[in-house]
Amino acid sequence: MSKRIFQHPEEPQTGKRYWRSLGQLQDTPEFRQWMHREFPQGASEIDGNDVSRRGFLQFMGASVALAGLSLASCRRPLKNLVPFTKAVEWSVPGKALFFASVMPTRNGGMPLVVTTFDGRPTKIEGNPLHPVNKGTTDVWAQSSVLDLYDPQRSKDVLSLGKKSDFVSFEKDLEEILKTSADGSGVAFLVDGIVSPTRERLRRKVLAKYPKAMWATYEPNGNDLEVAAAAVAFGNGHEVVNRLDQADIVLTVDRDILGVEGDIASVRGFAARRKVDGPKANMNRLYVVENRYTLTGGMSDHRLRLAASRSGAFLKALAAQVAKLSGDQFLATLAAGLKVVDTKIKDKWVEECAADLWAHKGKALVLAGNKQPVAVQALALAVNVSLGALGKTIELKKSAVDASASIAELAEELRKGAVKGLFILGGNPVYNAPADVHWAEAQAKAKTVVHLSIDQNETSAKAHWHVPAAHYLEQWEDCYASDGSYVVGQPVILPLYNGITGNELLAKIAGISADPLTLVRDTFAEVTSASGDYSAVWAKTLKNGFFSNASAKSIEAALRVDAVTKAIGDSPAASLADGQFELVFITDSKVDDGRYANNGWLQELPDPVTKLTWDNAALLSPAAARKLGVDTGDVIRLSMGEKKLEIAALVLPGHADDSISVAVGYGRTEVGSVGKSVGVNVFPFQTTVDRRFLTGVSALKTGRRHALAITQEHGALEGRGADITRQATTQEWSENAENKDFFKKMGIDAHAPANFSLYTHPPLDDVHGWGMAVDLNSCIGCAACMTACQAENNIPIVGKEQVINGREMHWMRTDRYFASEGGDADEPEMVSQPMMCQQCENAPCETVCPVNATVHSEDGLNVMAYNRCIGTRYCANNCPFKVRRFNFFDYNQRSITNLYRWNLISEKGTPDSIQMQKNPNVTVRMRGVMEKCTFCVQRVQEAKIAAKVKSSDSGVQPRVPADSFTSACAQVCPTEAIVFGDIRNPESRIAKLKEDQRGYRLLEYLNTENRVWYLARIRNPNPKMPDAARAGSASKGGHGHGGSHGHTSSQNGGHA
Amino acid sequence: MANIFPRWSNWLPFKIIFCLLILGGGVSAGVWYYLNPEYMRVGYQPSQPVPFSHKIHAGQLGMDCRYCHSFVETSAYSNIPTTQVCMNCHSQIQRENPKLQPVHDSWKSGKPIEWVQIHKTPEHVYFHHSVHVNRGVSCVSCHGKVNEMDEVYHAESHSMAWCLTCHRNPSEFLRPVSEVTNLDWKPSEGKTQREIGAALVNEWHVNPPVKNCAGCHR
Repeated sequence: MSKRIFQHPEEPQTGKRYWRSLGQLQDTPEFRQWMHREFPQGASEIDGNDVSRRGFLQFMGASVALAGLSLASCRRPLKNLVPFTKAVEWSVPGKALFFASVMPTRNGGMPLVVTTFDGRPTKIEGNPLHPVNKGTTDVWAQSSVLDLYDPQRSKDVLSLGKKSDFVSFEKDLEEILKTSADGSGVAFLVDGIVSPTRERLRRKVLAKYPKAMWATYEPNGNDLEVAAAAVAFGNGHEVVNRLDQADIVLTVDRDILGVEGDIASVRGFAARRKVDGPKANMNRLYVVENRYTLTGGMSDHRLRLAASRSGAFLKALAAQVAKLSGDQFLATLAAGLKVVDTKIKDKWVEECAADLWAHKGKALVLAGNKQPVAVQALALAVNVSLGALGKTIELKKSAVDASASIAELAEELRKGAVKGLFILGGNPVYNAPADVHWAEAQAKAKTVVHLSIDQNETSAKAHWHVPAAHYLEQWEDCYASDGSYVVGQPVILPLYNGITGNELLAKIAGISADPLTLVRDTFAEVTSASGDYSAVWAKTLKNGFFSNASAKSIEAALRVDAVTKAIGDSPAASLADGQFELVFITDSKVDDGRYANNGWLQELPDPVTKLTWDNAALLSPAAARKLGVDTGDVIRLSMGEKKLEIAALVLPGHADDSISVAVGYGRTEVGSVGKSVGVNVFPFQTTVDRRFLTGVSALKTGRRHALAITQEHGALEGRGADITRQATTQEWSENAENKDFFKKMGIDAHAPANFSLYTHPPLDDVHGWGMAVDLNSCIGCAACMTACQAENNIPIVGKEQVINGREMHWMRTDRYFASEGGDADEPEMVSQPMMCQQCENAPCETVCPVNATVHSEDGLNVMAYNRCIGTRYCANNCPFKVRRFNFFDYNQRSITNLYRWNLISEKGTPDSIQMQKNPNVTVRMRGVMEKCTFCVQRVQEAKIAAKVKSSDSGVQPRVPADSFTSACAQVCPTEAIVFGDIRNPESRIAKLKEDQRGYRLLEYLNTENRVWYLARIRNPNPKMPDAARAGSASKGGHGHGGSHGHTSSQNGGHA
Repeated sequence: MANIFPRWSNWLPFKIIFCLLILGGGVSAGVWYYLNPEYMRVGYQPSQPVPFSHKIHAGQLGMDCRYCHSFVETSAYSNIPTTQVCMNCHSQIQRENPKLQPVHDSWKSGKPIEWVQIHKTPEHVYFHHSVHVNRGVSCVSCHGKVNEMDEVYHAESHSMAWCLTCHRNPSEFLRPVSEVTNLDWKPSEGKTQREIGAALVNEWHVNPPVKNCAGCHR
């Protein structure tokens, strides 16, 4: 046989191309460097080293002397085994215990099951019994376990910043309350969590102090949405979106699948993206937005439009719908909304409205929940006209009573009328709207009591700061978004003596009861239980929730006059040419700044921008050209007196007259992780301009700021078109019988059949593990990345190391843009989770000189850390760039201390952080390669359980189908990732891998991957003006049937 | 010109090499012998805070291992008994024995007894007790004749090579599950361990991880 020289086929330069970044699109030298070297040149040089040669020798001498001393005591270290004195119920050393609990969020409680080992919670999963999330969770729930163990959490009661105690606090509390018998002069400011116990105690407090003021503030909350619902349907009504019922969804400036939705909407949407064939009843998503969001990435049609033009768009849409439906009232409303400009694509609106009308009763229009009330009310009116009420939108009774706003409270404060102000949670000094001037108003109160989990900007300006208990530490309760009552069970005693807001309220109300009794009493009230309800309670604790029949949807008619008035009163949003609007976006990681000290979240790449450890001004390529800036250039945003300097980040698909900045960064009073990360834009936000601020000018400063963006890391030789595949519904129908339609796309369409020179061990186990990722329902939210981090003890590396390309995430979510002809203005976006593909013919294994990475019989590419000597050959040879190397002792040293010489820098992990570690996964040290293991600890545990069960019965031990799953598959809110046993015909994976849409990455390399991707399907409306652009595989340069032939010498033939 | 190097120096390099070989060989042999779990671990017998005798409890009295190590069949770890377990009997028996003072102290004060660990697997090794004892691997295979030990010592090396002797050839060691905690069990008359073991391996589909590193390293 002649020698076979393998040449990777060149990616075509014509037709549709997939690109990770603008750098790739323009083929910049920086990108080429990332492609050819996994780590940039010079990154390995120690530039932070401040140890001089003299110092080195001194310490060297000292350490030798110490070694000499310690040699004398060269003994086996004594370790003790310490059992309990009295056995603890349910506790079995080495076995996990699971408790149902709930994470309170502003969208209702997230029902959870918490994994604990020896009394320490280590991992959070969704509650599989609960209908809202069915065992799945999100990024924030996953990373909340790290917040619990944050060593910089608030630990002490502080009086004017000095350490104090609960006794003196309670004494002072009595003083405050004594001065006000009826509650005048007492005010409460609470966050937006919906807790039945808090509501009950609120009523008690207000009964005792009827003149007390109760205000709510949630910076990224849905208060404007609630206000719009109140206008449209009357007070106390809340709108529930039923995305699972909608055939056609139109979102206008609403990231419903990302930060502006909840898990129920995500799951509802994804349920309609599970397709088993071209005839499946898939939904269609129209998205109007100013920047790429996860929702925009999932869209079938996307219109980029400045956020301030959303009103104009809805006006045009409402007019079209009114024309089609003959709804005179809607036409009047549409005409009534004042807008300045009308630069809306008419054809787009026309066809979109026609499609919505054609699916009357199955269409849903969602306006941004921070858009002005009038705009949102108009969207509700459109929905009513489309017959959505009771079908794709439902109404429910609000679970909380109406409260005052933070602006009203600030007004009271400024009058000097407030003596005692209680702030339960939240951080208004940092994130209150600028026009409220909160810090100044708060200073007017005689005594300010601030209860929070960390010491933040507000605690620094409060008279009393009281540490709060984490939700895993104390009894709490919540309503889930379906209205069911969810109990938050504590899984660990409060680490730092924190108390809950409920306890504080109970104290104020004069109720002496522990947190459990408080919650139990609420439970009795909510369930109207009487007599002995301990059996119901016990069942509720076990299941984690109580289905509440009273939470059924209610009916109401559109309040014509109120909507007309609201729309008529609303001023026009104007965006003049040449000006920018500044859009405040909810950050997908730190939210409103509350998670700023969470390293997992700071290091998680933003799903769209792939930015870590920062926020940036997102702008379009055209806007960047206009300003003469590029990614990393600092620009100055100014609006009147207000000024802000922030690094620009050029984001394809962004509206040209718009700049988006995430809120929640630039915290000042925060732990070491969140300090000096990003820039605070809250000072630009006002009570009126919650979403956007028009008339902002931007200017180049000439300075640069290093942004840690991971989007070019792990670039797969630019083989985007091969890695991610998609087709339209039409193309799929045309190729419904073609089994190879998705398998033979891109290079695989014409690469010759391959063979392996290497043999792999016989994969003769009864099990074979595999994974399927459905790109059609994957929204790219990166919850899998966080779950993986929590499960597998993955460290964070800090901003500097991320810039060097050394992030440790075992899996990443790659985000590709796709466009024809290098168009960076309106590309499509695709997300793709990428983890170790567990190749049967693994290229990494053949190059390891020490057999540290080998294959197991059940088809896993396993890593033996203690064998690894750190040559990194495997990482170089991995075609998917999924191997991670421990360049430093990330687990032993803080991220600010990595370059310090080992013997002089502090070593060790804070105890509390050690408590989070999964005891079933090795904590890796410096110099060791690691990668996704398919959660081998879970695999082994399942196999061991099967063997134990089989014992001496003679039954072949076999793990039951789908009885366990990997961490990423378990968390996935859309259930896009499926893990299981491919040898078990009953398992889901065995069926999915045979799906027509299934393909494996780089099949032409003959790696025989164990991960199957199911191709993305787009469902464009053929009548839309941009339908021709929509996701098409066959239009890609490497499609089948294309005219370009290939010569064997180019494409891996015999040479 | 006189020779700079005397004649004997011709042999010097060979002598040096010879000595280095001896030295190197000695060091290698020393490392090979002494820095080996068989030398370093076997026989390790620390004194315990309570002079608890396994010989009396498990040997003379014939108590089953699982009375105290109660979770060995369900958990990865074989637990050390709580003070409460000691007090089950010793609240009645031998109450005045001064050797039991630490147990009574612990029971009264609620402070646990700090036993000294003898058998320790490295951090990267995940040994699972329950899967072994439920599949016919006796306690005695790894811990020796504990029922004959007054004070427990490290009886086997617990090195990886030692693990593999059984993982590669389980039929040499397996016994009926009911006899796992019977440390004095012998194959019945007329049968050898190998015959019994081979039958069990076949019947139970015993297939311990041999080449699968993840079986023990995760």
